[in-house]
Amino acid sequence: MASQSQVLVEEKSSVGILTLNRPKQLNALCFNMISRLLQLFLAYEEDPSVKLVILKGQGRAFCAGGDVPPVVNNMVQGKWRLGADFFRDQYTLNYVMATYSKPQVSILNGIVMGAGAGASIHGRFRIATENTVFAMPETALGLFPDVGASYFLSRLPGFFGEYVGLTGARLDGAEMLACGLATHFVPSSRLTALEADLCKVGTSDPSFVSTILDAYTQHPHLKQNSLYHRQYIACFININLQLLDVIDRCFSKRTMEEIISALERDATQELDDWILTTIRALKKSSPSSLKISLRSIREGRLQGVGHCLIREYRMVCHVMKGDISKDFVEGCRAILIDKDRNPKWEPRRLEDVKDSMVDQYFERVEGEEGWEDIKFPPRNNLPASSIAANL
Amino acid sequence: MSDNRALRRSHVLANHILQSTPLASNLSLTREVCLQYSPPELNENYGFDVKEMRKLLDGHNVVDRDWIYGLMMQSNLFNRKERGGKIFVSPDYNQTMEQQREITMKRIWYLLENGVFKGWLTETGPEAELRKLALLEVCGIYDHSVSIKVGVHFFLWGNAVKFFGTKRHHEKWLKNTEDYVVKGCFAMTELGHGSNVRGIETLTTYDPTTEEFVITTPCESAQKYWIGGAANHATHTIVFSQLHINGTNQGVHAFIAQIRDQDGNICPNIRIADCGHKIGLNGVDNGRIWFDNLRIPRENLLNAVADVSSDGKYVSSIKDPDQRFGAFMAPLTSGRVTIASSAIYSAKVGLAIAIRYSLSRRAFSVTANGPEVLLLDYPSHQRRLLPLLAKTYAMSFAANELKMIYVKRTPETNKAIHVVSSGFKAVLTWHNMHTLQECREAVGGQGVKTENLVGQLKGEFDVQTTFEGDNNVLMQQVSKALFAEYVSCKKRNKPFKGLGLEHLNSPRPVLPTQLTSSTLRCSQFQTNVFCLRERDLLERFTSEVAQLQGRGESREFSFLLSHQLAEDLGKAFTEKAILQTILDAEAKLPAGSVKDVLGLVRSMYALISLEEDPSLLRYGYLSQDNVGDVRREVSKLCGELRPHALALVTSFGIPDSFLSPIAFNWVEANAWSSV
Repeated sequence: MASQSQVLVEEKSSVGILTLNRPKQLNALCFNMISRLLQLFLAYEEDPSVKLVILKGQGRAFCAGGDVPPVVNNMVQGKWRLGADFFRDQYTLNYVMATYSKPQVSILNGIVMGAGAGASIHGRFRIATENTVFAMPETALGLFPDVGASYFLSRLPGFFGEYVGLTGARLDGAEMLACGLATHFVPSSRLTALEADLCKVGTSDPSFVSTILDAYTQHPHLKQNSLYHRQYIACFININLQLLDVIDRCFSKRTMEEIISALERDATQELDDWILTTIRALKKSSPSSLKISLRSIREGRLQGVGHCLIREYRMVCHVMKGDISKDFVEGCRAILIDKDRNPKWEPRRLEDVKDSMVDQYFERVEGEEGWEDIKFPPRNNLPASSIAANL
Repeated sequence: MSDNRALRRSHVLANHILQSTPLASNLSLTREVCLQYSPPELNENYGFDVKEMRKLLDGHNVVDRDWIYGLMMQSNLFNRKERGGKIFVSPDYNQTMEQQREITMKRIWYLLENGVFKGWLTETGPEAELRKLALLEVCGIYDHSVSIKVGVHFFLWGNAVKFFGTKRHHEKWLKNTEDYVVKGCFAMTELGHGSNVRGIETLTTYDPTTEEFVITTPCESAQKYWIGGAANHATHTIVFSQLHINGTNQGVHAFIAQIRDQDGNICPNIRIADCGHKIGLNGVDNGRIWFDNLRIPRENLLNAVADVSSDGKYVSSIKDPDQRFGAFMAPLTSGRVTIASSAIYSAKVGLAIAIRYSLSRRAFSVTANGPEVLLLDYPSHQRRLLPLLAKTYAMSFAANELKMIYVKRTPETNKAIHVVSSGFKAVLTWHNMHTLQECREAVGGQGVKTENLVGQLKGEFDVQTTFEGDNNVLMQQVSKALFAEYVSCKKRNKPFKGLGLEHLNSPRPVLPTQLTSSTLRCSQFQTNVFCLRERDLLERFTSEVAQLQGRGESREFSFLLSHQLAEDLGKAFTEKAILQTILDAEAKLPAGSVKDVLGLVRSMYALISLEEDPSLLRYGYLSQDNVGDVRREVSKLCGELRPHALALVTSFGIPDSFLSPIAFNWVEANAWSSV
């Protein structure tokens, strides 16, 4: 079956090794792969012989995102509900991973974007390498960082999550480790040996897995132009405090407009390349996407992972339904289909995206036969960190 | 993310110390027979949309609130700590007084840099005011010291400049205050005079030769006391003082005086001492001030109400000194508005913690060898916490209503605001203290750890019952105002209008003799009892005062002698006003689960208020049988609210991080590995 070969399964002693296997599409997650992963994860949780799950990708990507073109096709044909099914299953997978009772080790030896982040960051261990490239590029597509990103981005230090989620900035493996998106950094040359050692673990106790991973971890070399360099701080992480200060100062602002004007103020003072690149990225993104993404991350900071995914599901349904803005179709056309990289956003300017429009994305979808909020399978192992006080 | 890493590190460390594998596996074996924390979310369902309910309770600026919650969580200044796999932010109350003061100031700088205070004095209109109130409320949820220090600077110093001052003061001070170029305090209270502001002894005269005012502290009892900000940080103060012009006392006036230079050195002719360590609010630097013939320019008189010309003539548009004093005090209502709403948010923190704990902590088995019972499944525990929860809901709507009438105030509504804010401030702050004590007992010994908050908050919020007007004095003012209204309407033979007294124009309500469950839960019945009580007590109070006056006592002394009725009346008025606000909120909702549960909450509020008030029996509004029925119904309502308990506290919208470890995985938070 195609779906089975798209996810390769190896079961070695006490470990399930799953390999995303659609290398030509950079392992973009399609509906079948998501269903298969969900099925496997749920089965492994029940199977006492499986102590640990390893997830990795075939080829140069871990996973470059979700398989968007079919979703967009459906939307264009007015069948957005099929797309909703795709996202529902995907978010359910994210939820299961975030509340998983056994350690998941994701080996991020290549591109990790969008859906790929959702399939890895929620798990207990995330291994970055010198080949890792991470990004959440959704705002440039007219979407927003979903797959539970409002949960994990909002929990990065300071306002780094807003920066990563709004600008789609790329991070390398060292930077992922520094900000906490990755838990370990292992040179790719040692991955085979690491995997072999992990297969001997024989327990689901994360501290044992951790001990093995720690033996392979290296302190990565940060590039000179990295956000994180120069200053030497605790945990052997080098951080460019100055630039992180700018991020905190600007991306902590209450509104999208204030964030951009804070950046622009800093740009005229320091004329820093980084700031100009950042402003350019924000200005190229969908204004609607920016506003709903910011709100989503801010709400997510105060919510558990389950509630984050419920909210994101409401949001993605509104995005696909296209009743507030059609930017997602336009973004996919410009970036993925026509590739003219010149999307015509509507509304065109941030000021024209009113609060009342933003509010609508967070409401239930009304007047839609049979639509309901996403419901997750009951979990008997809800970790404290996934329990929310608010929705 | 970082909590995961911290957890992992602690595991690694633990393993490192323990070394031997067999021991670790023994540990996991014992873990299974041990008590396990089970999050309340696993067993409790939400019977209504908690997001909708949160919007109703917060009432306004929900997105702004979430923003500032996030600002505090993401900064290291707010004492982030990990407990039981979760991040918490709350002050370290084990710091010394001096450390608490400095970190409080640093937190304010951080909020300032992030634009939290933008427009607090320079923008006007209800929208700007509501935003400001919402942000201040969240500051207070984090730490009362932060909100008090911010409140003194903006609402006391800033508003005094804004409301008592004129253009010249506004231009010079408002923007600088908003940017904290100057740090203001507010010197009204003296050692010898607190609630009785008219009795203060600080003395100011005018010297026409230099065109200066001269401020003096004539005796020790005139030293300014409890002046928030004065001990360490404030550079300027409002000084309340008697103004003597050519030997005539023109009454209390407000002046601006600089007390420190920009480097923080105390100015000449000023002496400042510290108020010392307190039972709470140690992040606020309360000080005492003496003025030794301090000279200030003539322009520093805040002259919106009265002025002194350069040659020393006193001019005021308000001739009557009583009215003039009233005009001075009117803008200070904002303090009571913010105190009332902050008291309710404190009660919410206490209840969210105590109720979440009671949904995860068990004690005693009912049957031999049976499982231990969850605390909140004990009817007695429900009776302790759920009525307080219902009252907190009702008072939450009351606080919102008070804010709304405050931000839309007009000269005509000033009196109503004064009366309502006095009653609400007193009743809501008393309710908070009572709630915190019950919550502290309800969580047992865990409540005495300061990191669990419920015990500590008692000390932090206690002062609310006496500052900005002693609660008992405020309640007497409510009764006096009702008396005046009653007498004036009767004298002029006019119908009652305002203060919610319109029901006095209709016939006295008649209560049914038999009270069924559905009668007791009917909003009309509840309104009737509350109206009947208010009406009867008002009539009794006025006739008792009239009787005493008839015997030749003065009006003031007659009020004093009638203090028992005055107290009952003040409470009856306030409780009825609160009931009205939750009824109004309920009426605006479309049919559905939110409305249904709010109906239960409202009935609980109404009936528990009746159960707790002896005046219903004393004056015979209800029979002995009736009060028995009320009591039974309260117990029944406890059982009906029990399934909603988690959803009701979740709807407070207070992020997990602002609660405390016992509200979540208290087993893990106390595990050996986290020592």
